Amino acid sequence: MNADATSAARIGLDWLRTAVAPVGAFGRRHDDARAPYGPGDEARAHDEIAGVVALAAQLDRDGVPRARAALRAVPEPTPIVARARVGDPLSDVDFYELGRFVDAVAAVARAWDAAGGDTARRPPALDALRTLLAPGREGAGFYLADAFAPGLRAARETLAAEETAFETRREAIAARVRDAIGIDPAGDEFVVLRDVYDGPLPDDVLVVRETPTYRAAALRVVAPARDAALARLADEEEAARRALAEQVAREADAVAAATDVLGALDRTLARVAFAQRWGGCVPSFGGTQLAFTEATFAPLADALAARGRRYTPVTLALDGVAVLTGPNMGGKSAALATAGFVCACAALGVPPPARAAALPLLGAVTWIGGEGPEDCARLLSSYAAEVVRARETLAAATPRALVLVDEFARTTGPREGRALLVAFVEALRARGAFALVATHFDGVARAAGVAHLQIAGLREHALNALDANDLDAALDAINAAMDYRVVAAHDGEAPSDALALARLLGLGDDVVARARALHDAR
Amino acid sequence: MIVVGTAKNAGKTTTFNALRAVAQRRGVAVAVTSIGRDGEPSDALDAEPKPRVRLAPGTLVALPAGLVPRSPALAILERGGESALGTVVFARVVLPTRCEIAGPPTARAMRATIDRLRALGAGPVLVDGAIDRVAPLAGGDDAVILATGAASGATVARVAAAAADAVARLTLPGRDPAREFDEVVHLGGALDARDAEELLANPRDATVVVDDPTRVVVRGALLARLRAAFDLRCERALRVVACTTSPVGRDASLAPRALVEAVARATGLPTFDVVADIAA
Repeated sequence: MNADATSAARIGLDWLRTAVAPVGAFGRRHDDARAPYGPGDEARAHDEIAGVVALAAQLDRDGVPRARAALRAVPEPTPIVARARVGDPLSDVDFYELGRFVDAVAAVARAWDAAGGDTARRPPALDALRTLLAPGREGAGFYLADAFAPGLRAARETLAAEETAFETRREAIAARVRDAIGIDPAGDEFVVLRDVYDGPLPDDVLVVRETPTYRAAALRVVAPARDAALARLADEEEAARRALAEQVAREADAVAAATDVLGALDRTLARVAFAQRWGGCVPSFGGTQLAFTEATFAPLADALAARGRRYTPVTLALDGVAVLTGPNMGGKSAALATAGFVCACAALGVPPPARAAALPLLGAVTWIGGEGPEDCARLLSSYAAEVVRARETLAAATPRALVLVDEFARTTGPREGRALLVAFVEALRARGAFALVATHFDGVARAAGVAHLQIAGLREHALNALDANDLDAALDAINAAMDYRVVAAHDGEAPSDALALARLLGLGDDVVARARALHDAR
Repeated sequence: MIVVGTAKNAGKTTTFNALRAVAQRRGVAVAVTSIGRDGEPSDALDAEPKPRVRLAPGTLVALPAGLVPRSPALAILERGGESALGTVVFARVVLPTRCEIAGPPTARAMRATIDRLRALGAGPVLVDGAIDRVAPLAGGDDAVILATGAASGATVARVAAAAADAVARLTLPGRDPAREFDEVVHLGGALDARDAEELLANPRDATVVVDDPTRVVVRGALLARLRAAFDLRCERALRVVACTTSPVGRDASLAPRALVEAVARATGLPTFDVVADIAA
């Protein structure tokens, strides 16, 4: 589903993508590889959403975030395994990371089980990889243990013996030096102060540097056997790592399969968490309507909840193009956004947060109204931006497009603006697109020959009883008095309740009274 | 315990190795890490030869994954945060080894690394440090050892003066309500030359407080004047316990005993040449 930046922001697509973003790298990769559902994908979209809805009912609500936290903690094994497959040497840190991966996958499986998940989606146990690494694993760590190769133990024992022999030999030399010059040659280097000893140094002492006041020296301890033991151990350890890496490479398919399962599970659980938070339905696809019952525009509901306000779900049925009128602050823009949001949910395989929905899978959603970031970048005025977007929309409009028009041409003269809007609606209708057109212009629906919907508006007499002292109280009062339902409209003037709302929002009584007089005189 | 230097090649790693050797002789298992990169055969910036860090069996070490020696193998215990050289891992030495050590780049990450090393082992944590990055140790009971030497001055007197200046900054006393003046001036960031000049323009009975000693960037005579004129303190003090000296620098070789004695006199701290085995 294509949506430019402005449209994506207005219909909450960006918010939705964030809300259902996977928590782990595999999930992100899995998501990136899947395009949104579009026309022709109805069966797949239905299956995914139905699965999510079923899981949302099945899985424990506390268990889902725990399973997601476990997914977040899974380290990425893919580059390590890829290096093993091409024969690159692996390090002990790589083996440690593979061990972490095995443990983390097991933790996801446990969390999935605890949440009530089924065995079909359960991450695999990776027993073969676990067994491979087991000799080196104490707790969560890793050590290239003797058991990994037959020569390791002997090489380490030899080195340990040679280290001891080296220290014994060094100590014997140090004792001879101590006896000869009276200075303890401790450490890698030691200093012979000339005011303590300025005579010739024993043959076992190598002078590193000299100054007028001292000589810095080191003991000459030749240890070919220790050097050989070090080299042998290095060879044995590298051989053990190579052998282990080859065995890891043979598990590449199992690791890839596990990451695929984790990726799919991550995507699914993100959607399940969303559905458990917002509710959701399995839409029916393939009809000619774009309709939903009691749908929630979750980004707005979320913002309202943060301010202690309640969101009123929207019910809408759209057959092709409809004009939506209603009072200011009545939720026209929210209704438009809800239509886009519900379709975006379906495109992303997310249960639309509605009681029921019948939806098309769309190729594109476009929002026209106001300036977006792209318009600002093009240095267009509000009117010019709208016209350019309208032109581009008409050029691309198809029966699988949804066009959401929010008070088009409100910034130009009302007579020409209304005429332009009527012509634009006619053009949208002719192209067979879905469109919902919010406006305060009168008679647009009838003139363009499309359905007319309206926000029910302020409840009768409710506004006269309202009084508020501050903005928050006014908004609460308006919220309580407003009937946000979308209903079939009667012909006639589009209601706006603009003057009553202006009074409630604190514009002076004298100004509002004068405006009312002017309005009534007309 | 963190070792910091008054200059590059002041003998930090030599001191660090000496501490580690003492612990080994006494049978104390230590944990080691570094602020910045240390232990490489030569300095990454000026190619001066540097001693590598020798690690005995049982030593815990925090170092970037890329610096884990391939042989003899270390036991990898767990992973930590990121560093400029990759993910820091915690490991235990199984057979004697020599390696480079580097640690996390930020104060917070270093504090977390030190705390994790403490949790993983029972012994002391030795940090090959940097004088401008000891802030994570401020306010705790960690000990700071200052390494100084011919790399920071061409004469014994200059080295001693540099050490005294560094110690004067690092030993800024902590808050003490019983000794402070009524007027307390809090400086949120660094105490720089401009702050110092402004304060000195209006000398008075006041206590000036910075967050930790590393925030004091004035030095020398200006710092001395400031300390004479004000009661200068910090919220979180450092505990500087000793100095070490290295008589060898790129441009000078100094008399070891004279250097140790001069630095001890100038700083008032126990001072050691850990190579020449001289103490004052």
